[in-house]
Amino acid sequence: MATLNLNAITKSFGTAKVLHDISLAIEDKEFVVFVGPSGCGKSTLLRIIAGLEEATSGSIVIGGEDVSHAAPVDRGISMVFQSYALYPHLTVYENIAFPLRVQKMAKDQLDARVQHAAKVLQLTDKLQLKPGQLSGGQRQRVAIGRSIVREPKVFLFDEPLSNLDAALRGDMRVELSQLHRQLDATMVYVTHDQVEAMTMADRIVVLNGGQVEQFGTPMELYHHPATKFVASFIGQPNMNFVPAKVLDTGGALTVELEGGHKMSLPVDTTGVSLGDSVEVGIRPEHVALGQNGLDITVNVLERLGGVAITYGTIGNGTRFCASLPGDAPVREGEILKLTVAPEDCHVFQSNGQVLRRKSAPALVA
Amino acid sequence: MMDRYTKLQLVGIYAALAVFLTFMLLPFFEMFMASLRPLEHLFRSPYQFWSDDFSFQAYRDMWVTVPLLGRYIFNSIFIASSVTLITMVFVVPAAYAYARLNFPFKNISLGIFLGVNMFTGAVLLIPLYRVLRTMGLLNSYWAMIIPGVAFLIPTGIWLLRSYLEKIPRELEEAAFVDGASRLYTLRRVVLPLAVPGLIVVGVAVFIGAYAQQFLFAITFNQTRELQPLPAGLYEFIGYQTVTWNEMMAAALVGVLPVMVIFLFLQKYLVAGLTAGAVKE
Repeated sequence: MATLNLNAITKSFGTAKVLHDISLAIEDKEFVVFVGPSGCGKSTLLRIIAGLEEATSGSIVIGGEDVSHAAPVDRGISMVFQSYALYPHLTVYENIAFPLRVQKMAKDQLDARVQHAAKVLQLTDKLQLKPGQLSGGQRQRVAIGRSIVREPKVFLFDEPLSNLDAALRGDMRVELSQLHRQLDATMVYVTHDQVEAMTMADRIVVLNGGQVEQFGTPMELYHHPATKFVASFIGQPNMNFVPAKVLDTGGALTVELEGGHKMSLPVDTTGVSLGDSVEVGIRPEHVALGQNGLDITVNVLERLGGVAITYGTIGNGTRFCASLPGDAPVREGEILKLTVAPEDCHVFQSNGQVLRRKSAPALVA
Repeated sequence: MMDRYTKLQLVGIYAALAVFLTFMLLPFFEMFMASLRPLEHLFRSPYQFWSDDFSFQAYRDMWVTVPLLGRYIFNSIFIASSVTLITMVFVVPAAYAYARLNFPFKNISLGIFLGVNMFTGAVLLIPLYRVLRTMGLLNSYWAMIIPGVAFLIPTGIWLLRSYLEKIPRELEEAAFVDGASRLYTLRRVVLPLAVPGLIVVGVAVFIGAYAQQFLFAITFNQTRELQPLPAGLYEFIGYQTVTWNEMMAAALVGVLPVMVIFLFLQKYLVAGLTAGAVKE
């Protein structure tokens, strides 16, 4: 098992620069998720770690060894592909055994490894089938089986769950988390799904436009997003951003939200001046029905049972989503009064950077 | 539904099919009918479609009239098979390189290969004759095999390349990550998946080789024992008479192997030529 260090990785395809100076230090046995919208460079970064693409500059160090120019097989990595990349003409057994066959491993040792992997992944009774006879989840497990027989130092996953249906995805998330504990290995996982990132990761790398927006634990990202982009990406439903004007910067930051509501927010006011335009970020789950506060016009109401999600507008038509108790007395078309605690609010400057919150919840380790 | 036709449309479709098939198959039918008749009845006037004296006599006599007929049929199949085999040996790595690797002048050289296809062998017969004479290959099997291979490689590359391109790249990347070399991947992953494509290309090359050998045989080969069937058929043209019925019988027997191959591989051909055309 090993640490993984990326040092100032950049990548250009022709004149298009897709990765800008990415440096990350991933701990031994850590489960790190790269998350970001499509085209943010997360898959390219993973392929550079795997050795399928060469970085334009920068170096990759796995387990203390510089592998920037090594072949994939010499890097001590294995990779699970989005499409599983199973060999359709080979049985499950041969698919899992493929990396060992390449190494020309002795038959009995090979068999022991394959059988062990099959047992871990509950594929023992499927070994003689062809991939075409398996369900999506089983194929996924075969692909994982092929990656674990080689006992690599670092596992790489490229959106492995994106081809599965929603229910199966939930199951596989749990299985992957268990597998991570069982194998006690360093894992790097690429996804565009923030739920996968939040549920599985020890730490999350949020990528945007080829740059690292933030690298931290899931709860760190949730409570202390460094930028508006991270704030909008993490959390379900998405955070609301309400434009506001700065009224006072002494002590707390006093702002007037679009729609006229005034709030005094406990954030670091360094670098903010009177009259500045900022955006106040309010998570849908942090609002409650109240007597006075934000005026929200409800357009659509979704009752999910436990919660009721309202989609509405505030002020001059800025969209605002609120997550309320399931049986909240709300109707479409009416105007709601919502309250939000000032310490739950995030404030973002016009350049997208956050103003640090002074009173955020203690971080869960 | 896409496959609903009105009665009128159906009649039209079948009429067109009938015309087309008649045009294609009538010569074969006429060959067969001619081969069944005694020679003197072939010139009977008025034309009689049905005679009572149909017999397979010509199929027995042809071996006597042209004693080397068996050898000619063997030569035909041998030359076509050799051409196919050698062509495939060249085409497989070349097509894979064109499908997957990047190298200078890739598209230009591919275009040149297509350009070669524009020339028929006939245009190049005389230069080829000189080349083969210089190399001392005239009047040998090689004289018919080498030009055959040369003219079929471009077609083979174009056909197989497009098939190989449809094999998902991720499969090869997965093998690469697991430490497999290019050749190992080609052998263990790509070629097994390309079997339908290989069959299509193999059959196309075989048919091409079978069809083109006549021209090369009559130009580059004077040795009787090495002649393929199409050239050998000339021996049915005697000084006095042409034994048309026997010639037709021999031609049919010679075409038979190709027909058999077609029948057996038909499903691969259809599947192979349209593979990947639609999402499955």
